[in-house]
Amino acid sequence: MSRTLSPLPPTSGTPSPTPSASVGSRLRGSALRALPKSYLIFVLLAIIAVGYYVSDDFLTFRNAENVITAASIVVVLAIGQYFVILTGGIDLSVGSILAMSTVLTALTLQAGMPAGASVMFVLACCALAGLINGILVVWLNIPPFIATLAMMSAVKGFSYIIQSTSLIEIRDQGLIQAFSRGSFLGIRNPVLIFIIVAVVAALVAKYTTFGRSLYAIGGNPEASRLSGLPVARNLIITYTISGVLAGLAGLVAAAQLRQGSSLIGVGYELDAIAAVVVGGASLMGGKGDPLNAVIGVFILTTIINIMNLVGISSEPQLVIKGAVIILAVFLSSAGGVQRISGFFSKHFRRTQAA
Amino acid sequence: MLAHNPVSPSTAAVETARDTHDGAAELRLDGVTKSYPGVQALKGVSFSVSRGSIHALAGQNGAGKSTLVKILSGAESPDGGTIRLGGELQRFRDPMDAQRAGIHTIYQELSLVPSLSVAENIFLGQLPRRAGASVDWQRMQAEARTALDRVGFHLDVRRPVASYSTAEQQAVELAKALHKDARVLLLDEPTSTLPLPDVERLFTVLRSLSEQGVTLLYISHRMDELFSLCDAVTVLRDGVNAADLKTADSKAADVVTAMVGKSLEGSIADAALRGERSPSLGAGPRESVILSARDLSEQGYVDKVSFELHEGEVLGISGLIGSGQSELAGLIAGARRRTSGEIRVDGKAVDFRAPRDAIRRGVGLLPQDRKAAGFIPDMGVAGNITLASLPQFSRLSVIQSRRDRGVAGEMVARLGMKVSGVNQPLKTLSGGTQQKAILARWLVRQSRILVCDEPTRGVDVGAKEDMYELIREFAQAGGTVVVASSEITEAMMCDRVLVMARGQVVAELDHDDIDPAGNAILERFA
Repeated sequence: MSRTLSPLPPTSGTPSPTPSASVGSRLRGSALRALPKSYLIFVLLAIIAVGYYVSDDFLTFRNAENVITAASIVVVLAIGQYFVILTGGIDLSVGSILAMSTVLTALTLQAGMPAGASVMFVLACCALAGLINGILVVWLNIPPFIATLAMMSAVKGFSYIIQSTSLIEIRDQGLIQAFSRGSFLGIRNPVLIFIIVAVVAALVAKYTTFGRSLYAIGGNPEASRLSGLPVARNLIITYTISGVLAGLAGLVAAAQLRQGSSLIGVGYELDAIAAVVVGGASLMGGKGDPLNAVIGVFILTTIINIMNLVGISSEPQLVIKGAVIILAVFLSSAGGVQRISGFFSKHFRRTQAA
Repeated sequence: MLAHNPVSPSTAAVETARDTHDGAAELRLDGVTKSYPGVQALKGVSFSVSRGSIHALAGQNGAGKSTLVKILSGAESPDGGTIRLGGELQRFRDPMDAQRAGIHTIYQELSLVPSLSVAENIFLGQLPRRAGASVDWQRMQAEARTALDRVGFHLDVRRPVASYSTAEQQAVELAKALHKDARVLLLDEPTSTLPLPDVERLFTVLRSLSEQGVTLLYISHRMDELFSLCDAVTVLRDGVNAADLKTADSKAADVVTAMVGKSLEGSIADAALRGERSPSLGAGPRESVILSARDLSEQGYVDKVSFELHEGEVLGISGLIGSGQSELAGLIAGARRRTSGEIRVDGKAVDFRAPRDAIRRGVGLLPQDRKAAGFIPDMGVAGNITLASLPQFSRLSVIQSRRDRGVAGEMVARLGMKVSGVNQPLKTLSGGTQQKAILARWLVRQSRILVCDEPTRGVDVGAKEDMYELIREFAQAGGTVVVASSEITEAMMCDRVLVMARGQVVAELDHDDIDPAGNAILERFA
């Protein structure tokens, strides 16, 4: 925002065309780059305004906390998904890995494993699932959609098998405290987790060689290879990170629901993908910003929350959610803003001429 | 044109309905023009092909051949000029129109449906029907067999196309065109995917078709094919006819000279063609050998190439497109895997499994296809420039963005890149600027050997001159350069030139051995 409000150098008085042209193009360039981000926050604020208008309960501390807590699981998933999509891939297995994470947590705790060891074990298993995804994609050259679709099915089946009963209760207070009930400096732990994950992701994406190489790989894999980037290694790491983050999201879900079940997290992978896409990332790879994926999650979660508050039943909710995804993608990545503004400027010019 | 036009009696029997304009050309183009945003692809192409003859169309990449094929096949319509078929003015709105008129195109990539049977492919879009909606399979198969007989192939027409070899699939495609009463067949480099014995068989088929009165327009780079198969050749260059020759009374060198041409007015390269010796890009070879290759091969592309690369020299690898110079460049830079042979850097044998290995040894590649392999479109200028040197620009894998941008800024100034800022996405910049950014990538990486694969393809004349100047600077600063190029003028600027043909090095020439017209190189192409 501050960028667009910064004072402009006066261009009207300069007679030479070259500097003014370059200043103009630079401004246009920076404005275009800032557009998706500012536009997304704007959309979120607009949705919040609508919520405030339609429901008295919306802008309460309690409801805000509900929304943020509900969003925290999907945010963690969406960050992992974001990196995979950044490389031009997709990870359909994160919902199943999340479910596996809850089941494994419940099982290991039931078997008497200390909470800390259980968490480590669960995260290691989820990392392994992600690693296998990466290996399938890189070494066996299986398209990411197929590889992770197969993994989604396999992991889901695996969870069913090891679970054996309908659901397993979690009573370990340490785990519940750490991933759900506890708080630090007045911020509840799940929220803290997602903030830490999001901030680290944003820093990694923007300031590290790893992040830079992911943008390069997604933008042009062959040029990346010819520039000597470790394409295969970084792709495998990316899928592994996605697995670990799905496991972490599973720990939060397990602690919140106090149970492990293979039925948790059905469809979460699609929510995560939708959020990333609403956040302006291109499924072709090479473009986007992890914080926009976070905003994407909040846009979708807030809309669901508002619909719940005004009493819209869950079936129409799905329809509206679908419409919102299409609208958001049209406005952000399909060039809708430019098309609409183009239409208006053309229309305006025509009326002026007439 | 009419000298070689034996119309056999059988033709008349088969094609009774066809008008035979005595003396008139079967296909005639007059002043055909076509422009795309930013380029005039065809600036007025005229030629005529007599009925039943085999006419070759030759030219370098970008000469306008593919545009012409698109226009004749109806995929694009010309901006100006006329096309006449059997004397009648034609205007094709789409490929179906062209096919109805009798012009059929056989592309390099065959347009058959692999899972359907041979007969179904031949009849695609017009399956014969019995009363009602059922397909008349028997009639279809019988007619498919007849069509295949005309091209001299006997295949089981019920089997799927995918089960046949490339040569047989090509025959199916030819049969399909004949079945639809093709008068003119356009063949776009039909031998590029064929093994040698099949090439001979294809030629036999094509000769018999021409005897049956079918007119063939044959597109190819290969001189031996043009001369053994075709009656006449039209050479295109920069969107106009560069030469119209009869193969009977011309030499391969004439065609090559016309193809390669002598454009580039007012440039360094042009100096050579105005009778002055072209200035050399490099400082001349020094004693020490920096890289050597022995019996270097890649199956099907490069055949037992041996050479030594001296420190500080500019080595040209010259050849017509597809002669293996590009692949050889890829092998040296680790972008391709050798199948046998040896590469040594600084006297030590190296095994380049990936570009990383070559980059570590100080070899950088400027790839031929900039868009597909050269740069990251949405990434800024700075990101693209430092892409190969990220470890040098980071501490504990955190990028030191101030240094990164600073060095990029220096490069932008030094190479004279026209950008609005170092974060401007590279896709928004001109081809020349993009090429400079990729060159800057290797300068920043402090590569010792720069391998340029067609370094000036798709850049305008000004940027071309800049590239030459940069290569010269790089060499004078002690760097070593390999330039793989199909442009003769570029080869003539090198200190030493390896001339390639069919994957082999056929000659090694010093700068001083090359005459100002470049004939020393041209002769070896043919």
